[in-house]
Amino acid sequence: MLRIAIGQYYAARSPIHALDARVKLVCTLAALVAIFCVSNAAQLGISAAFVAAALALSHVPVGRVLASVRPLLVFLAVLSLFNLFFVRTGDVVATLGPVSLTSGGVVAAALYTARFALALVTGSLVMLTTTPTQLSDAFDRMLSPLSRVGLPGHEIAMVFSLMMRFVPTLADEASAIIDAQSLRGGAFDEGGPIRRVRSIVPVVVALLASGLRHADGLSRALDARCYEGGEGRTHLHEQRLSRGELAAALLTAALLAALALLA
Amino acid sequence: MAPAEHPPVRLSHVTLVYDGGVRALDDVSLEVSRGERVCVLGANGSGKSTLASVVCGLLAPDGGTVELAGERVCADGRPDLEAYRRARRSLGLVFQNPDDQIVTSVVEDDVAFGPENLGLPRDEIAARVARELRRVAMEGYAGADPSRLSGGQRQRVCIAGALAMEPAVLVLDEPGSLLDVRGRAAIMRVMGRLAAAGTTLIHVTHFMEEALDADRVLVMGHGRILLEGTPDEVFSHGPELSGLGLEVPFAARLSERLDLPWTCDERQLLCELGTVPNSHKTLMEEHPDIKHVCKLGTVPNSQVEHVTFSYGRGERALDDVSFEVSAGSSTAIIGQTGSGKSTLLRLLCGLERPDEGRVVVDGHDTSSRRGSKAARRAVGYVMQHPERQLFAETVEKDVAFGPRNLKLPAAEVERRVSRAIETVGLTARRNDSPFTLSGGQRRLCALAGILAMEPRILVLDEPTAGLDPRGRAMLRRVLARLSEQGITLVQVTHSMEDAARSERVIALDQSRLVAIGTPREVFSRDNERRLREGGLGIPRSLRVARELEDRGWPPLGDPLTTDELVAAIRARAERAKVTVPFAREGRC
Repeated sequence: MLRIAIGQYYAARSPIHALDARVKLVCTLAALVAIFCVSNAAQLGISAAFVAAALALSHVPVGRVLASVRPLLVFLAVLSLFNLFFVRTGDVVATLGPVSLTSGGVVAAALYTARFALALVTGSLVMLTTTPTQLSDAFDRMLSPLSRVGLPGHEIAMVFSLMMRFVPTLADEASAIIDAQSLRGGAFDEGGPIRRVRSIVPVVVALLASGLRHADGLSRALDARCYEGGEGRTHLHEQRLSRGELAAALLTAALLAALALLA
Repeated sequence: MAPAEHPPVRLSHVTLVYDGGVRALDDVSLEVSRGERVCVLGANGSGKSTLASVVCGLLAPDGGTVELAGERVCADGRPDLEAYRRARRSLGLVFQNPDDQIVTSVVEDDVAFGPENLGLPRDEIAARVARELRRVAMEGYAGADPSRLSGGQRQRVCIAGALAMEPAVLVLDEPGSLLDVRGRAAIMRVMGRLAAAGTTLIHVTHFMEEALDADRVLVMGHGRILLEGTPDEVFSHGPELSGLGLEVPFAARLSERLDLPWTCDERQLLCELGTVPNSHKTLMEEHPDIKHVCKLGTVPNSQVEHVTFSYGRGERALDDVSFEVSAGSSTAIIGQTGSGKSTLLRLLCGLERPDEGRVVVDGHDTSSRRGSKAARRAVGYVMQHPERQLFAETVEKDVAFGPRNLKLPAAEVERRVSRAIETVGLTARRNDSPFTLSGGQRRLCALAGILAMEPRILVLDEPTAGLDPRGRAMLRRVLARLSEQGITLVQVTHSMEDAARSERVIALDQSRLVAIGTPREVFSRDNERRLREGGLGIPRSLRVARELEDRGWPPLGDPLTTDELVAAIRARAERAKVTVPFAREGRC
């Protein structure tokens, strides 16, 4: 059966799990931007060390992280091939008939792939160590300026977090429906583009109906549990800025400084 | 908090009409007192779920007056939204699907969600979370991820979440209908504990046995309360209940069939049947005529040989499983959740290939691509909740989806569609949208879509799960008809009664085959302990017979159905020259 690992929470007690979700999100965002600016081996090494340290602190098994980024690995492979063959700077390293590899291409392939992989791991680490409610509460507070000007900041945050919570459920249902329809002769991997699009209609409509059913159930549950938006809500877990958050912020700042110095 | 003199729930002359003119509630009056345990029974479409929504303040009626938790939330059909908001803070709800009720990825955070919404201080929330998790026996799972728990455990988390809001009334709307037997039993235990602690409970269900412990039972039909009283009073109206698509509990049916004083309590029934003086034992010969000898076809049409399978690199889902299915037979696969039953079905219809061993379906080895394709054509797979695969605008179009994919001529498609729709008895609804059908009909519609492929083997994963008694009966009739037509049936079931009706039973526990044979062989006394270890029971007729034998009755010949049990009891009584009930000896 298909198991979607994106957005799945991994329960554990670790400094990363305990981090205030707002700080975690801001630090991650800063680190992601910095990692995407990496352009030499030294910077890459520092970034890799930073991500590895975060991973080790999080107590999330490496296999779990890899499993959650696996669906995107194909994309990563294509990206690296593109760089390999289409970057034409530097000396020619090897020639295969009409195709030639340049040193610039090899470096770009390695560097871009590596930094993209680091970014993926960082992103998935946040999802693995933060629960949907924490995420929603964090977004809520960060988006609260929006609420002040009349936009539904809190609701956006809640919708987002519930979406993450329902991804695995809907993925399971999608795979069951695909199995059932293909046993009734529905062909999803044959024919031209129009036929393919037509052939997924039975799956999409069925899944849509199922999504509506879940939405109905969920709204009933939220009403029954007196969910009325962010106002007046309290929190079981204290969201307080303490030493952990300060350390995270300092470490992220150190990463940024180191990358800037090595540029 | 509501003043003491107010009952937590009071409805008077409540009417609710849905868009399209369906009268879901029709002049319903109801008062529930503090600490009472009320059970609401009804078939699908009887209005019982609507009643649950009104009672927990999620739906305002069109007419009538509603008082909830001391607030007059609706006066003569005019809802007071502020009062509703206040009342909802003291009303709790748990419904069918735990997946729709869990909002986050950690158990304790989910339980805390309600109290957080109430704006309670942190210490109070933490105390309540710990207390309620203990109450539903889930204290060891505070940090767990709900998606890794069983359905029954998840539903208990939902109950804890509702209790943590300290509701004046807890409404449970079919909390067990999507769970297996063990999950349902755990929910019933929790409810018993809550009732003992004085929680006001309103329990909506279509499992009659679950109503036996209630203080009061209401029976709904056509939006009205048709019967009301203690379980004994309500269940003595057998014919009326079956007219409403419900059934009476097993003990009540049995006591009636045996002309015993009416009771719906199994203990009491056993007492009535009494103990037999030991001398009667000698009157018994050992083996009465054994019915149910299965006539197995000479040609097996599917074989599973030493099959081992695992998903990815995980634990084995199946470990060295072997059996044969003969053409035209019916086989039941039993085992608790996680025993590998569903995986076995997926292997049988070629959706998975075994890691080791062989699966041969209708002569096609599924290990090759061609073989598994051929196997898929021979097998019709009815997944769990098959109504989820419905998508077309009309029943007819949905059923035609399969035959059309086979590129059959139009006349042949038409013939198959008509035949399939007729087999499941939906001819009258042919041009309706499948989404307007009742739960049981939707499932039959999905089944018709699979039958239109004209499979030789039909593989079903818990075909009766989540249906009301009427839906279950409809589906069983259709399956019996298919079996008569010579279609081979293989079904996974949680119902030991369904298993007893099959020709062969396969019991799985922890990925391994633990028993295989006729129902009589599998449910034999020697196997009973092994089945219990695998989280399985035995058919209730057999359970009653064994209980009687333990109380000194002569052997009753392992009856598997109510009919056989009644016949066996009568035959023994006649031979012993006594009338039922036997003279009681000593205490019960």
